Amino acid sequence: MMPLLAGVVVQDDGSSSSVTSSPLETLSLSPPSLSPHSPWVRELKSDERGLCLIHLLLDCANRVASGGSLDPANAALEQIALLAAPDGDAMQRIASHFAEALARRAIRSWPGLCHALDSARVLPLAEAAVARRHFLDLCPFLRLSFVVTNQAIMEAMEGERVVHVVDLNASDPAQWIPLLQALSSRSEGPPHLKITGIHEHKEVLHYTAIRLSEAAERLDVPFQFIPLVSRLDNLDIERLRVKTGEALAISSVLQLHSLLATEDVGGHLRKAQRIAPISKLTLGEFLEKDHLANTHSTSAESAARPPTRIQSFLASLWGLSPKIVVVTEQEANHNGKTLKERLVEALFYYAAVFDGLDLTVPRQSVERLRVEKMLFGEEIRNIIACEGLERKERHEKLERWSQRMSMAGFRLLPLSYYGLLQARRLLQSFGWQGYKVKEENGCFMMCWQDRPLFSVSAWSCNQ
Amino acid sequence: MKAASSSTHFFGIREDGQHSHQQPQQPPQPPPPQELPATASSANTPHSAAPPKKRRNLPGNPNPDAEVIALSPKTLMATNRFICEVCNKGFQREQNLQLHRRGHNLPWKLKQKNPNEVRRRVYLCPEPTCVHHDPSRALGDLTGIKKHFCRKHGEKKWKCDKCSKRYAVQSDWKAHSKICGTREYRCDCGTLFSRRDSFITHRAFCDALAQESARLPGGINTIGSHLYGGRGMNLGLPQLSSLQDQAQPSADLLQLRGSSGTGQFDHLNAASFRQPHQLAHSSPFFLGGGPNQGFGEHPQLLKPFHGMMQLPDLQTNANASSSSSAAAAANLFNLGFFSNTGSSSTMNNGSDAGGQSGHLLGPDQFSNAGGGTEAMSLFAGDLMSNHTDTTMSSLYNPSVHAESVVPQMSATALLQKAAQMGATSSGGSGSSMLRGLTASFSGGGGGEISRTGVGNENHFQDIMNSLANGNGGVFGGFNQGLDGMGENKLHRNLSMGGFGGSDRLTRDFLGVGGMMRSMVGGIPQREQHHLGIDTTSSMDHSEMKSGSSTRSFGGGRLQ
Repeated sequence: MMPLLAGVVVQDDGSSSSVTSSPLETLSLSPPSLSPHSPWVRELKSDERGLCLIHLLLDCANRVASGGSLDPANAALEQIALLAAPDGDAMQRIASHFAEALARRAIRSWPGLCHALDSARVLPLAEAAVARRHFLDLCPFLRLSFVVTNQAIMEAMEGERVVHVVDLNASDPAQWIPLLQALSSRSEGPPHLKITGIHEHKEVLHYTAIRLSEAAERLDVPFQFIPLVSRLDNLDIERLRVKTGEALAISSVLQLHSLLATEDVGGHLRKAQRIAPISKLTLGEFLEKDHLANTHSTSAESAARPPTRIQSFLASLWGLSPKIVVVTEQEANHNGKTLKERLVEALFYYAAVFDGLDLTVPRQSVERLRVEKMLFGEEIRNIIACEGLERKERHEKLERWSQRMSMAGFRLLPLSYYGLLQARRLLQSFGWQGYKVKEENGCFMMCWQDRPLFSVSAWSCNQ
Repeated sequence: MKAASSSTHFFGIREDGQHSHQQPQQPPQPPPPQELPATASSANTPHSAAPPKKRRNLPGNPNPDAEVIALSPKTLMATNRFICEVCNKGFQREQNLQLHRRGHNLPWKLKQKNPNEVRRRVYLCPEPTCVHHDPSRALGDLTGIKKHFCRKHGEKKWKCDKCSKRYAVQSDWKAHSKICGTREYRCDCGTLFSRRDSFITHRAFCDALAQESARLPGGINTIGSHLYGGRGMNLGLPQLSSLQDQAQPSADLLQLRGSSGTGQFDHLNAASFRQPHQLAHSSPFFLGGGPNQGFGEHPQLLKPFHGMMQLPDLQTNANASSSSSAAAAANLFNLGFFSNTGSSSTMNNGSDAGGQSGHLLGPDQFSNAGGGTEAMSLFAGDLMSNHTDTTMSSLYNPSVHAESVVPQMSATALLQKAAQMGATSSGGSGSSMLRGLTASFSGGGGGEISRTGVGNENHFQDIMNSLANGNGGVFGGFNQGLDGMGENKLHRNLSMGGFGGSDRLTRDFLGVGGMMRSMVGGIPQREQHHLGIDTTSSMDHSEMKSGSSTRSFGGGRLQ
């Protein structure tokens, strides 16, 4: 065995080292010994360390998923802790956040522990806002999405005198100020712009209102901001006060996926949730919905099922007859049924995200640390450690969203080439190297290298 | 209600434990000045002197006549010293409390400060290590001492939410946040900056961009302006067009990159001198475009590999294949200054399938390959480093000694490699998920890693079994070339349990049992498989990956 091993494993003849001693001799009978005193831990090169971390993570996920005693998971996490670091290279950072998520997952069966830990770490609003601000600054995705969204809205609203925009998450005036600019320099003069901003916290809306009103004043655009304090999952569509005949645009930036959260524990039985009033479905639509539900759900059950939250939400949006709905979502499948599916998907996805940050932002940047921990770390934690209604980061790929939108009655509105040019120009002007925007079937994919990370698509009513 | 402390005069320092003295109702003003100069003496006997005019003493040079008061930190920071007996509301000043008492219909009395009896009070900082702890350097104002104590000896609890400045005193923080971000610079392209330097940098190149009709990717990375320690190297030459056509070799770049490992341009410079490889003629050009060359107004470091990326365009050396430059550029993009890029060039030189195997990535913006390819090539390059041509080793060795930055693969690349390294037979292992899902990962790219795995199922499964059961087993196969001793120890120590490869339950970290079998058995078939792929198909990045991994497994035999 040994000579074979040596012959196979040692690949280059020039190498001075070779496996000469039998691993058997040094096998310890105790649990694996990546001890803190192991010198080779320090000697590990980053790629070896990275590979080690990946395997450790997968192993740990296996152990956590298989349940039972915590000891194996604990051992794995200990080893990960030796190699991972929130301020190391990309793989180390990813590993440290995933390890935390896995640890939280592991203690799910001790709700007392979970609650104690969670209450200590609940992110105050200001911190979440700061994290989002850093995300806006350090990664191009939000800005790209804004550029594309605004361009699509501009094109859809050509010729309109009154434009009503509904923002499903009005936390950032930075999204709409460029729209105000563009509208004010429109050739036929600016329309009357009404923005209805929806957010959970009224302070945020207040801040947004002030900034936008100031900007509108400066740009001389007749403007009205209507704050709507509400969560998306119990949004009352009536409160939107959309007047008939109004040219309506709806913008959803990373908001729809949280509506996919359901109590999947029960399997097919979905508890009737508080859903927004929906327009009456025709039989055709109901059958269509049914068909889609059956196609996608993994549990085989009867055809009749109350509409899910997302379905009713989309249907209610459709009922408003918007001219355009622009949806930005993460391009990943983090809604798999099993933990391991989600873990692996998330590994690849966040590897790309963290790589992007690693290569565009210096390692010691506090902002980067914050966005990694407070934004992405929280997403990772949610994907891995939470279940049921708690698990809100239910990212799905564009093709699934397309199906949902079609089912709700929307028709794809291909995004214009000009939008693509603008997006690319934005990347250039910010000098974000490595990020790309690609067009795919009328939608845009924002990628790191070649991995699509976010998708933007536009929809309009069939009418 | 707390009674105001009487202001008795006595020598020395009066310690006030429970509550502090009373704050005079008017804002702190310079006391009736004394004629005595500020000498270093403690409070002495009061004597009346006719004050000709008010004079404010220098901070820290108190009026020697003044009463020195030392307060404990708790008292100093106490905000509400006067408590209403009815509703327990706290007030900072007695006057305010009195006014409040009116609301309760309690007897109230506003005391007037008697100008004749006014006592100049000075305060000591309770922090013993502070200069102002000494009575001769007491501060004259209670509010002042409070702020001083907070600023110097307190924790900074107030933080600006726009920038990251922290303050211990709320008024400081408020003042700052009024100003923060209000000075904004806007470029014509609409980008907003809060910092003047980044704005200037951007604007210069933004104009250039506009002039070049947005054809060029040479935009300044304003974010990156502080990258790499902001060294004063300015390599941005936006008008040096883009990397679009990568027919140019960038071995020079590779050398430069290979030899530094850090973002140090000087290092690169030296390196290029040291290794005048095939594109020696181009190095002067590069260096000519070097630090602060004609861009004096942009002292900040633009992304160093900006300039380096543009370099291939400058050199029209037809020697190297397009792939090498592409690889280099890609590596530049992806890996910064890591020396592994040297390996890719070497690979290109030595590769079997024309430019294919070496063709790793085009530049990010223009290619279709993912991040994994160069990783694989890098990895393979590492393996080959010891026995490939001298350039490689010369490139590689200096980088090894460059202590600050270790050659690194991106996380994405690592994952892809891990996926390639194994699949599992027992569907429980995550690695099989890795492998299977890399198909989805590659997205619409067309190339799928799983394709390559088809011919290597057994091999993968065996490896992954060991991996599933243990960790790091595959390292033995890969990293011998790099640091043999380290690896060995790693494997040894990671292993536990026996060599029973067939026993899936044992932690066969090395994967020795499985790996050996499969390696021995699998290699020929893999080689064939990959050679087949290499020669027959187009340069798809996933195939490149597989090609490289084959190489890695096969011990670089393809070389």
